[in-house]
Amino acid sequence: MVSLLRNQKVRNTLLQVLYVGSIAALVLAGIVIARRNLAEQGITSGFNFLFKSTGWDVNFSLLPATANDPYWWYFLIGIINTLFLGSVGLMLATIVGTIVGLARTSSNDLARLLGRTYVDIFRNIPLILQVFFWYAIITHLPTPRGAHEAWGFLLTSRGLYIPFPNVSNAAFAAATLAVVAAIVLPTWLGRTSRLSQPIGQRRAIQFTAAAAALVCAAISLAVGRLPDLPLLDFPALQGLNLRGGLRIPPEFATLAIAIAIYGGSYIAEIVRGGFKSVGKGQVEAALSLGLSPWRVFTLVRLPLALRAMLPILANQYVWLMKATTMGIAVGFTDFFMIVALTINHSGQTLEAIGILMAGFLAINLSLAAVFNRINKAIALKGNQLRG
Amino acid sequence: MISGNSTEPGGPALRIENLDKYYGTFHALRRVNLAVERGERIVVCGPSGSGKSTMIRCINRLEQHNGGRIAVLGTELNDDVGNIDEIRREVGMVFQHFNLFPHMTVLENCMLSPMIVRKQPRAQAEATARRYLEKVRIPEQAMKYPGQLSGGQQQRVAIARALCMQPQIMLFDEPTSALDPEMVSEVLDVMVTLASEGMTMICVTHEMGFARRVADRVIFMDSGEIVEEAPPETFFTTPRNERTRQFLSQVLDH
Ligand SMILES: Nc1ncnc2c1ncn2[C@@H]1O[C@H](COP(=O)(O)OP(=O)(O)OP(=O)(O)O)[C@@H](O)[C@H]1O
Ligand SMILES: [Mg+2]
Repeated sequence: MVSLLRNQKVRNTLLQVLYVGSIAALVLAGIVIARRNLAEQGITSGFNFLFKSTGWDVNFSLLPATANDPYWWYFLIGIINTLFLGSVGLMLATIVGTIVGLARTSSNDLARLLGRTYVDIFRNIPLILQVFFWYAIITHLPTPRGAHEAWGFLLTSRGLYIPFPNVSNAAFAAATLAVVAAIVLPTWLGRTSRLSQPIGQRRAIQFTAAAAALVCAAISLAVGRLPDLPLLDFPALQGLNLRGGLRIPPEFATLAIAIAIYGGSYIAEIVRGGFKSVGKGQVEAALSLGLSPWRVFTLVRLPLALRAMLPILANQYVWLMKATTMGIAVGFTDFFMIVALTINHSGQTLEAIGILMAGFLAINLSLAAVFNRINKAIALKGNQLRG
Repeated sequence: MISGNSTEPGGPALRIENLDKYYGTFHALRRVNLAVERGERIVVCGPSGSGKSTMIRCINRLEQHNGGRIAVLGTELNDDVGNIDEIRREVGMVFQHFNLFPHMTVLENCMLSPMIVRKQPRAQAEATARRYLEKVRIPEQAMKYPGQLSGGQQQRVAIARALCMQPQIMLFDEPTSALDPEMVSEVLDVMVTLASEGMTMICVTHEMGFARRVADRVIFMDSGEIVEEAPPETFFTTPRNERTRQFLSQVLDH
């Protein structure tokens, strides 16, 4: 018995069992106590409320929504809104961060100063203040009649109006997917056929895949086109109101901008760190081989910097995803706000919070898993010598 | 004296005149003069900080000189980007820390520049790369990544990578000083072979055995100046300069 306890593996297993066991016991006790308390207050616990209709409206939804819809449908709407806001926000933040980060590593003094000022300002102001700031600016834009216009885009206090194709929703979704495929497919094909095919053939395959995807996009737009209307619908003033185009509500625009600007300041630092981590030696070797500065950037600095950035970037993305919960500050019905409204209207606090936590856990774990896979796939092989 | 804008075959490989280099206010090279003929093998030595790396890095513009002139294969090295490109195509360089591209296989490391800079078709670039990997005696490592090789193997890949551009001049900056002792000879052997084939070489190294065997001239630098310049026999037996004697007594004692 004593000898068994001295065995390292046995010890580790035993500790694990104790650890998991005590956590499970705590959770269980919590649930039992909560149920008893709720029952005393006359609140029935359980998930039956999910199938009752909500009786209230959401102000933003990518799916059809009415007050008659049940709670589970609303949760789904919330998750999709969060994912949508999150992906738009992360994409914009990445673009901003890349530009600012590159400015910070540039050899131009002015660019460096601007980049640094940007990071110092936006990283040090709490996100919630920035959200309020952008919301104030957007809601103080002119009314539709005095809208600012540029290239068919209209800026008003009622939202941002952008030209939009006159196609059915399904066709638009299909076309969007096809465009995403046109970007993702060539990259993926490029990696899998890296060594097995000559470079020319690889290019041809990549090109064909991208072209095919774009043709699919064009076909879905052509098929789903609404009859007797121009393909692109420009927003325009009709009477007192704006008609046509796509309206991006002020709440969504506020949050997307805030996440882009705030997240961009953090991502800029990651980008800068990534490029700084690239060994001077590799760059010099590339230059000495006669490669142009642009080739050195695309073939050596960028790929190496990306590898250094990716793990930290993944953390940042997970963290920014959680920043979508700022929706409640301006009244955007993201997942968090839907949960908050649910608690107000149904009183099912514990269940709703449980769903909230599970939802965010699922979103962020999947995000982390995707990044882990990419990371593994592109990790440098062997031991790295820092020169 | 320095003229012409093309890498004509006849002239000297390298001509450095009154070269000055400053790092801020620090005077790293002081009026250095050096001429290297085609096929000549030069070994550069000297104490740490004497400006050896700075000098050979000026030759392919990894450092920008502040005064004097450099002409490589008849092409004047100045702010003209075309000239810089032309010179870098013809001058290969091997670094102390190998500086291979860790995200590419050995083969890709060797094929990259020939394909992009020399615009060689892939098949030709691959054939050349395999030939040079054979020559540095690691053909079987072609599909591995640099991080999976020993230091000596990595340095031989670096030599092969530079050779794949079929340069006319090779620069070596202490190619063996980051290596474990047992790997030094495998790299030196490759360099000796290269020298025997008539490659123009400028090697910064403290391997005095190598200098004795292959150098046409040994150059000793101190405090940014070329202090002594002599064929190896004279250099090692009857150095004229006091600082050279001191240096030699230090490196040869070990
Ligand atoms: N980028 C730089 N900035 C400032 N000073 C530098 C820089 N590079 C080199 N120096 C200085 O210039 C002098 C010559 O440096 P260099 O690297 O050419 O010496 P070296 O002879 O190659 O020495 P070692 O044998 O240690 O490699 C040294 O005093 C060094 O401190
Ligand atoms: Mg040096």
